[in-house]
Amino acid sequence: MAQLLPHVVNGLSLGLLFALIALGFMLIVGVMEVINLAHGSLFALGAYVAVWLLGPTATPATFALALVAAPLAVAAFGMLLELCMRRTYGRDPLYGLLLTFGAALVIEELIRAVWGSRERTLPVPEAISGAVLLGDLIYAKYRFFACAIAAGLILALWVFIERTQVGAVIKAGAHDSEMVRALGYNLARLRLGVFALGTALAAAAGIIMAPIWGVRPHMGVDAVVPAFLIIVLGGVGSFWGAVFAGVLVGLVVGLTGAYASEWSLMSMYVLFIAVVTFRARGLFGRKSVLDA
Amino acid sequence: MHNVSKRRRSLLQAIAAGSATSFFGPWAVNHAWAQSAQKKPLTIGLTMDASGQYGASGGEERLGAMMAIKEFNEKGGVLGRTIEALHMDTETTPATGSRVAERMITRNECAFLVGALHSGVANAISQVAQKYGCVFLNTNSSSPTEAGQNCHRTKFVWDGNGTNFAHAIVKNAIRVSGKNWVLLTNDYVWGHTTSKATRTLAEAHGAKIVDELMVPQNTRDFSAFLIKLQQMKPQVVAAAVGGDDLKALRKQVVQLKLDKQFAWINNQQDWPDVYGLGPEEIFGVFGTNWYYRLDLPGVKEFVEKYQKAYPGVQIKVPGNVYYNGYMATRELLRAVERAGSTNNLKVIRELEGLKVPARDRMQHFDAYMNPATHQMQQTIYMATYNDQPAEKDDIFKILASLPPQEVEDRDAPGACKLESYESTPSYEA
Repeated sequence: MAQLLPHVVNGLSLGLLFALIALGFMLIVGVMEVINLAHGSLFALGAYVAVWLLGPTATPATFALALVAAPLAVAAFGMLLELCMRRTYGRDPLYGLLLTFGAALVIEELIRAVWGSRERTLPVPEAISGAVLLGDLIYAKYRFFACAIAAGLILALWVFIERTQVGAVIKAGAHDSEMVRALGYNLARLRLGVFALGTALAAAAGIIMAPIWGVRPHMGVDAVVPAFLIIVLGGVGSFWGAVFAGVLVGLVVGLTGAYASEWSLMSMYVLFIAVVTFRARGLFGRKSVLDA
Repeated sequence: MHNVSKRRRSLLQAIAAGSATSFFGPWAVNHAWAQSAQKKPLTIGLTMDASGQYGASGGEERLGAMMAIKEFNEKGGVLGRTIEALHMDTETTPATGSRVAERMITRNECAFLVGALHSGVANAISQVAQKYGCVFLNTNSSSPTEAGQNCHRTKFVWDGNGTNFAHAIVKNAIRVSGKNWVLLTNDYVWGHTTSKATRTLAEAHGAKIVDELMVPQNTRDFSAFLIKLQQMKPQVVAAAVGGDDLKALRKQVVQLKLDKQFAWINNQQDWPDVYGLGPEEIFGVFGTNWYYRLDLPGVKEFVEKYQKAYPGVQIKVPGNVYYNGYMATRELLRAVERAGSTNNLKVIRELEGLKVPARDRMQHFDAYMNPATHQMQQTIYMATYNDQPAEKDDIFKILASLPPQEVEDRDAPGACKLESYESTPSYEA
């Protein structure tokens, strides 16, 4: 048990980070029903903007500033992308898919053109770098910080969606956009805001993950695939489903990493197949005629 | 209700399509045309990764090959023909490697193929190349199987392999750090064969392999592995992890301060995988076959030429990957010149008899092609981080240089069964 416990804790923390990665993706898919394939590239863009803002060293103040400013900058970029996407609304989702796929390629090449293809390092303040001793084990301080930020962002997003009037309008817009428009709400502005929030969350996840994964132009690919998997596993449109799926994936990956390491990456796909085989709508997905 | 379910079904279909498109990128093709000549140009296919785990290294070996081609074109090409390079991204994916090789040979009429980082990709390309008799130079893939069980008459391997590097570092690591070892192995052919070579040598010298942890390709989070290592408390961790996976591993090891807890050896350290990392992240002892500050004739000029030709690149000084790309291409073109023909079998015979003086290769010992395995036998260096750098990029300290005879992969000739000349298709490019 003493041997197992660190791996359970590690799996939970990994799960929170997975949930963080899926958060912005889930918001846009769940609320707007738009599959944003550029999510991974926006994740990478957030990390690069933060590297650019911070330079070679970071203090708590500059790191906090980068954690706010870089997502805002990426959100502005996301708004431009949303303006381009408007012609795809109401059409087959494949149009949006193709547009965001193209955008992903453009953003990745833009990153290469501006910052080059070399590996970059996002500096972290001294206060959250280094390691802490947990019994016999050494654990990275930064990972605790990353988990705390992930939990905070998840909670803040839930409060925003479930406990504010704007959140209620966003949810209503997802359910029946024509009714929301008929009630006098500006649907275009609403979608713009949601997309900006989703891209800001992607960028924030990119910044949080950068000191762990490293910063490379194609780092977004490492994010977008688990993000896809988590939102489908949790049930498309389900907030807590995605969070639960993220934690579940983290636990499975963490435990297989420890006890059957060659299966550690494959395990999340095996879990996905197992769940979707018996429950096509995912763990917390709404019931549809597909399940009849 | 019906509309909602249709929308959800479309959305799910689009998610499935999205998953597929995120795996399969567009077919990236890049022509690099040299000046034209009256005779038909000689086209060399550059089968190099521009994306995936070895994307960064693929870019470097491409620059090396392009430099050799440029040098030959500046003196009139080869056999009076200018040389053109055609590059396609092999995406660090064996299936793409096969497709690219097939297309380059059959559609683009490439005379020769050059380039490989990932041993699965190298193996895939070489199978296609052998089918057509096309000479293929594996520039940087260092799995022992490449010149062992997966060798081919048409394939020549230019990098040192996992066994060569293990010879260079294992014995010393046991002596200095201890006999209690754990292997950390990238879960594909290079990782497997390299760790196997390390295990064999380590056990032969009295070490005990406590465990072997398999690291799937594209692993970005090593926390589970690192916790496991802490629980096992080995004296030495021998890593056969490469590309972007290694970069992520290095970062996370340093975050946990585990670089000080155990002795780390990394079988081979490719220059693009460490260039730009902080000094604390270049821990452990590792092997390489070239360094830009070797105190040997020609090295300084070689570095200056790189810097003059590629002023805007991120990697400011050439490393082993660039060096192998350059050397392989140069020797191929020299072999064509000596053969006086582009006939593949004549070129193969020239390469099989290749001997390169140390001075010409900018290494400490003479090198030669092993005709039984088609692997270049060369100097192998044992290196570590340089804590007294002469300049910013001077990050390696060379601890020892070993002649090819001392690091020879003695199992390779037994494992390698080259196809006969008669069964290898012949062509004139």
